[in-house]
Amino acid sequence: MALSLGWKAPRNGCGLLLQAMRSSGLLLFPCGRCPWRGAGSFLDPEIKAFLEENTEITSSGSLTPEIQLRLLTPRCKFWWERADLWPHSDPYWAIYWPGGQALSRYLLDNPDVVRGKSVLDLGSGCGATAIAAKMSGASRILANDIDPIAGMAITLNCELNRLNPFPILIQNILNLEQDKWDLVVLGDMFYDENLADSLHQWLKKCFWTYRTRVLIGDPGRPQFSGHSIQHHLHKVVEYSLLEPTRQENSGLTTSTVWDFQP
Amino acid sequence: MHLSLWVPINSVNLRNTLSGLRGAVTVGMIKSDVPGTQEWLDERRRQGDLPLPTSSNPALSLKLCDPRQGPAPFQAVVVLIQPGTGLVLRPPPSCLFPPDPAPSPPAEQIRVKPDKTGVVTDGVKHSMNPFCEIAVEEAVRLKEKKLVKEVIAVSCGPAQCQETIRTALAMGADRGIHVEVPPAEAERLGPLQVAQVLAKLAEKEKVDLVLLGKQAIDDDCNQTGQMTAGFLDWPQGTFASQVTLEGDKLKVEREIDGGLETLRLKLPAVVTTDLRLNEPRYATLPNIMKAKKKKIEVIKPGDLGVDLTSKLSVISVEDPPQRTAGVKVETTEDLVAKLKEIGRI
Repeated sequence: MALSLGWKAPRNGCGLLLQAMRSSGLLLFPCGRCPWRGAGSFLDPEIKAFLEENTEITSSGSLTPEIQLRLLTPRCKFWWERADLWPHSDPYWAIYWPGGQALSRYLLDNPDVVRGKSVLDLGSGCGATAIAAKMSGASRILANDIDPIAGMAITLNCELNRLNPFPILIQNILNLEQDKWDLVVLGDMFYDENLADSLHQWLKKCFWTYRTRVLIGDPGRPQFSGHSIQHHLHKVVEYSLLEPTRQENSGLTTSTVWDFQP
Repeated sequence: MHLSLWVPINSVNLRNTLSGLRGAVTVGMIKSDVPGTQEWLDERRRQGDLPLPTSSNPALSLKLCDPRQGPAPFQAVVVLIQPGTGLVLRPPPSCLFPPDPAPSPPAEQIRVKPDKTGVVTDGVKHSMNPFCEIAVEEAVRLKEKKLVKEVIAVSCGPAQCQETIRTALAMGADRGIHVEVPPAEAERLGPLQVAQVLAKLAEKEKVDLVLLGKQAIDDDCNQTGQMTAGFLDWPQGTFASQVTLEGDKLKVEREIDGGLETLRLKLPAVVTTDLRLNEPRYATLPNIMKAKKKKIEVIKPGDLGVDLTSKLSVISVEDPPQRTAGVKVETTEDLVAKLKEIGRI
């Protein structure tokens, strides 16, 4: 799935971005010199209006009250409405998943981890972890999600947090040639066994080729806890989830950041 | 297809039912106010058919149909499609209850296969059996009241069962178990086999409560719950219209022919749900997405040591006969003449 918004390529474009454009996976990102204000106005106005109408700006109830996000909350129509009436693909980006919360909290608390580094947020969703990396001083960020609506949500969320929007790649990055990143972060991405297998292979390659640091945030999903990747994980920190998150994710009470070292 | 069954409720049947119950069920005090019942029960006790009430064996006073009432008409639509499944909860207490993928009513027109071995299921949309939805809803409500720790949704059948389990997860179940049965075998799966699977699972997962829909709307068997309780040797409360947890006991209000019957069951127990128990919730968008991140374990019946061979074989499945036009007659004499003409009298 790709979306063309007519953005200009940055002059110092990284290999992956240009490659993606060439393979017409397409890519949307703002000119590096654009002010954060008005970045959202580059988006399709209809979908932008739909997003604004059906999500609420919230920062409470998560591990990172410093980050404002457009999410589905009980005050939104589609919190209660029949699911088949949602006109787009499943809005994973409309939930601040516990795995992502832990990662974002860790990056905000430990800016040294990202300061001056290049960061890839794989499966960005609402973009919270990429935003946390940006707030902590990352020099280069790419947010990746296969859902173009997620891309729009990330742009809007950047605007909410007074940040210049960073590049967003709307393609399945696992099918593309790998690029060099100092840090790859994955928030709550190991919920499906097949996806977990693909990610594991991709991350191993990334690690061995570029010595990339890989940080994974996960609340203890059974599909993750039982996966072979566990042999190569070192626990970095564990956070206790806030009550609203616990209630929304029954059975999950904490979320952990893991360092992947194959 | 319509099958009209006349089930005469008389004292002979009642006696057999009660003696059957005695062995299988641990039942507490039950209310009864149908006139004549108490006297009938006392007579049965005197004759030794019923155990005498003692402190450890409370009185089996059941609210029964009045034996003097006429037979109860019972209509069943017999369609053999997908079997039922179970849902399980973790202690304390846990419950197991099945979302049953029955074919979606009533917008689809059910067609009999040309070879008369069954009905056409290809391309027919399957959704959760409505009574199973009620069971899932009840389990989730128990969990929301913090009376139950974990709700597990179980389904027995081919791959499409997973969609039904996902719906249960979206309604609030914590995890799912899919007992995978190949499609050909799944067609022959009946309540007995499913009950065996559920019983083994209930023991394996150490649950405290098994919640099922009272019957599947495709076969209307109304047997799985009862058989599961039989295999587990657990008490059962079927046709539940209200379920209340009281400490380590479960109070179940049942809908029976004569009205309402209230049972108190020792846990672990099996409960099957009836229409008026609750109104199931819609699976909302956030919950559907969260359901996709919940785990569904896939196992085979062989893993549980269950043999799915059926002792039943379907001889024929047929459409009901087409209604022919009726004939109006003016007088009784005409009617008698007509009946004689067509050989009915």
